[in-house]
Amino acid sequence: MTPRRTRTTRFHRHHRLAAGLLACLLVSGCFAPGGGSSASDSSGSGDGGRLRVAFAFPPTQNYSPYGQDAFSLSRLGVAEGLTRLDENGTAVPALAQSWSSEKDGRGWLFTLREARFHDGGDVTAAAVVSALTHATQAKPAPAALAGISLTAEAAGDRQVRISTAAPDPVLPQRLSNPSLAVFSAKAYEKSGTVDPVGTATGPFRLTKTTGTTEATAERFDDYWGGRAQTSGIDAKFVADGAARANALRSGEVDIAEAIPVSQIASLDSGTVREVATARTTGLFLNARSGPFADPAVRAAARVAVDTSVLAKDVFEGYADPARGLFGPALTWAQGKRVELTGRAQAARVDGIAITLATYDNRPELPEIAQVLQQQLQRAGFTVALEVRESSRLLTDALAGKFDAFVGARNMMLDTGDPVSVLTSDFTCAGSYNMALLCDKGVDGTVAQAATIADLGKRQDAAMAAEAAILGTDAVVPLVHQKAVIGVGASVRGVLLDPYERAFVGAGTRR
Amino acid sequence: MRSSRTPASGTGGEGGTTAGVVWRGASVLLWRVVLAAVLVCGIGLLPWLSRTDPALTVLKARSAERDPTPETLAAVRDELGLDAGPLRLLGQWLGGLLRGDAGRSWLSGTEVMPSVVQALGVSLTLMTVALAVAVLTAAAVCARSLRRGSRFGLVGRAAGGSGAAVLAALPEFLTASVLATVIGVQLGWLPALGWYGSQWMVLPALALGVPTGAILGRMLDDLLPAAFTEPWALAAAGRGIPQGSLARQAVRRCVPGMLPNLGLFVVGLTGGSVAVEQIFDIPGIGRLTLQAAIAQDLPVLQTGSLALILLASAAGALARRAAPLLLGPALRDGALQSLHQPAPPAPRTLPLMYGIVLLGAIVLGLLRDPLAVNTAARLRAPSWAHPFGTDALGRDLLARLAHGAFATLSVALAISVAALVTGVLLGLLPRLSGPLVDAVNAVPPVLSGLLVTGIAGSGPYTPALAVAAVAWSPLATHASALLRQERATTHVAATRALGAGPRYLLRRHLLPAVLPPVTRHALLRIPGIALALAALGFLGLGAQPPSPEWGLLLAENLPYAERAPWAVLAPAAALALLGALAVTAAGGVRLPRWTRARGSSTTERVDPLPVPNPPTPRRPERGTTPMRHTTAVTTREDSA
Repeated sequence: MTPRRTRTTRFHRHHRLAAGLLACLLVSGCFAPGGGSSASDSSGSGDGGRLRVAFAFPPTQNYSPYGQDAFSLSRLGVAEGLTRLDENGTAVPALAQSWSSEKDGRGWLFTLREARFHDGGDVTAAAVVSALTHATQAKPAPAALAGISLTAEAAGDRQVRISTAAPDPVLPQRLSNPSLAVFSAKAYEKSGTVDPVGTATGPFRLTKTTGTTEATAERFDDYWGGRAQTSGIDAKFVADGAARANALRSGEVDIAEAIPVSQIASLDSGTVREVATARTTGLFLNARSGPFADPAVRAAARVAVDTSVLAKDVFEGYADPARGLFGPALTWAQGKRVELTGRAQAARVDGIAITLATYDNRPELPEIAQVLQQQLQRAGFTVALEVRESSRLLTDALAGKFDAFVGARNMMLDTGDPVSVLTSDFTCAGSYNMALLCDKGVDGTVAQAATIADLGKRQDAAMAAEAAILGTDAVVPLVHQKAVIGVGASVRGVLLDPYERAFVGAGTRR
Repeated sequence: MRSSRTPASGTGGEGGTTAGVVWRGASVLLWRVVLAAVLVCGIGLLPWLSRTDPALTVLKARSAERDPTPETLAAVRDELGLDAGPLRLLGQWLGGLLRGDAGRSWLSGTEVMPSVVQALGVSLTLMTVALAVAVLTAAAVCARSLRRGSRFGLVGRAAGGSGAAVLAALPEFLTASVLATVIGVQLGWLPALGWYGSQWMVLPALALGVPTGAILGRMLDDLLPAAFTEPWALAAAGRGIPQGSLARQAVRRCVPGMLPNLGLFVVGLTGGSVAVEQIFDIPGIGRLTLQAAIAQDLPVLQTGSLALILLASAAGALARRAAPLLLGPALRDGALQSLHQPAPPAPRTLPLMYGIVLLGAIVLGLLRDPLAVNTAARLRAPSWAHPFGTDALGRDLLARLAHGAFATLSVALAISVAALVTGVLLGLLPRLSGPLVDAVNAVPPVLSGLLVTGIAGSGPYTPALAVAAVAWSPLATHASALLRQERATTHVAATRALGAGPRYLLRRHLLPAVLPPVTRHALLRIPGIALALAALGFLGLGAQPPSPEWGLLLAENLPYAERAPWAVLAPAAALALLGALAVTAAGGVRLPRWTRARGSSTTERVDPLPVPNPPTPRRPERGTTPMRHTTAVTTREDSA
């Protein structure tokens, strides 16, 4: 018996050895490549304080500047365009030093500043023209260029002339969109894609990207705005909000973007920064078909909704009760609000059955929908909820299959121009018309606002259009959301941008 | 002996000519290929089946706030070449695959193959470590049986199981988020974000491995008592073989019955641990395929699913090879003993207790309003007014738990029964079901939801159908593994020799042997089914808020797990209690009578010492005296 057993044991030992080797091979081969250096070693603040940042939205298009990833590049301080928006929504100089309109608003002449690309070349007029031309040729066209046709040509070495088919009074704001950022010729070498690694102009030079999980950027010493204070950025893209909050709390990152409301209470109060955003959550009522086609029923819904509890309880104070479509982040809007007139009288509601749809990509929305459900039911509606992932909801919503829709909308997203959002969201031909509103009065006021070139007057007209839209009760603004950012105690100079385009800048350090 | 083992190893253990084996092997392989093809084609047709425009889903996945203007959609459609139609696209993808090129992701435009390979590598590593944790957990679950069994103290003793059932009912996303918060953040012992080295593996592997190990351990524990009463064990004990050795051989005797399930877990943990990947931010294949499924990024989805199918086939084949290796020629030669519990489990008071607690809470809660929102009272701790506290909208959790019970339990139970019946039936046909199980198991749950919706439309029964479509597979695997062993037992051989037909064998011998453990297994999975149902919610399937369905309850309160632990504790505890109830009650289901009256079993139960004779098998008609005492282990030792 004994010799037999020894043999069995040896047999087993061989197996174990093989299994161990196999496990070692597996383990060593399968970690995120390159992570070791940036992640595990950078916990100390030895090398001039690299910033470790957790971003919320992983790149979806391999850092293509023509989609959402453009915002990541901009928030990382890597890419920038000719202009940027200041807190008042006005275009201010970035790569362009100054500009003026010509040809009755059909053309704009931009004068470039002395700047360098990350690969060492100068930012010349030709390079800017090439970058903008590539953007106009992208398919699908970047959202900032939707509906306009734009051509750029060099006017000398330092000047660029940009013309549009129709007068475009908001072109300087439009150019602040991250999808119109300028990259050097090297970025466009491979046809069909834009490679932002080492080709942009911002304070940080993108040096490495790892799939959709990480990106590394180093300080760009020749930045026109002066050397950045931090030597580099290690960015992680962490989609889960709780995971971002955890990473900040455990010290694995210095800054965490977009902390969900549910996690804020778990952070040290000193690490929470908030900034009002242009994002408004609203209840959109189907004005085309169903019970809400009747303005009086819409008015009844508007009267039934109490928005104060939403901001105070569901958002735990990290949102403002809605005052209109344009929230307090848009400082210009606050003094220009127009008195609402001619609203319908609320009808008496008794047992009208409606479907209220929302999406769950933002965790607060289903909660809001459930609060609204109760409020509407108290007013006599019978409410069924429908909660789905947003892409599974959109087609049905735009086809009018729901009576009401709760959604959040960035009112300044693409162009930084209030009128363009109103056009797409509330006019008959609008492409994102969740309320399915088609009202001649509204269309007229919005169209009129779109023609105004003077920024102040355009804003006045936008506010008049807002009043006209709210007057129809097709949308009940609920809250103006705030962005909550978790910032480690030693970090200074994080950019709190209501337009959500800037985040880490030359002055950010720890 | 060694050389003659090979032909039988791939078959049902009944031997056969070499040509027959080859033919059978070929047909199984063909069936496998057909299934993989059907699945890949199904995915390829998904957007057209479900009439969801891929241009829109891709656009929204690329940038959530983009206006879906007709021009934009047309540009995306153009870019992806969608107008070519599903068949052309599928053909192109397959053609590329032959050259090792899986195309480019519709979403990001990057090459699919490297990203799938990398994600698969990450997931395989995680799975390996999780399995190690699972094995340790299973060992802990079985430790008591092993210790007692090797001293012959198990006979007639009520098996445990509540603990294992509670562990098995733990939703992995809950374990993961608790581990991340407590160990990762509050204690700071281990990193809780990312995937950079061995330290990063511990927490996710624990979250995945513990429930898995609990299920495996429970299955093993189910078989162990019988193994210890087999003649070889008695003989070995009589010979003075140490208890440790005995326990090891008993495990070896029982493991083949659950190896195929281990194979399923290999695939399930690789492709289906989305929640854990999300919480710990691990770039695994679960998240990759989930994102691809939502965005309808077909090249990625097809490649990912195909990779998982290959993995499933490999794992299944390995498991099938390993069983004969462990059991030796006894399996082929029909020289095994039946692994039934030697004595029926004693009736127990435990399930009654669990039942009363659960029922009590439900009855109390039914008197309350589950839907009354009061945001001012959000996340209140348990008090007299709200015994279980309130959720994020200030609703009473006791009320929600109670009102959700019926919906949750009835659907989960119905699915379990359907899965059990399907599982056992298909388990009888291992050559048909084996490849089917592998294919079904390789489909991530969300994808299965999408496929079922695409085929059946989104009716009220779609979510149940989608869950049932995959829920049967572990049961079928379990059943067929047990059947295979059962067919190789001496008493079946004896009955066959006495002239019993296949139908008689099935009815009187095979099914009675296989049903109880598989039923217990099915009961153990009820909580998991409730969770799977809730996981489909975001596709617009299944329970919608504000329904208090338990899975939904867990999901909606998870973000508040740290601030308001009671909000997740209540539904998690209810699920755990349900699991414990199901498992403990299952022991009594077969034996509601008082056994004390029966002489033989009474002696068995009170006798704590090694029995000198093999315990008399329970059923006279099956309990023919073993014809050959050469059982698996001894034969192998002799041959070595």
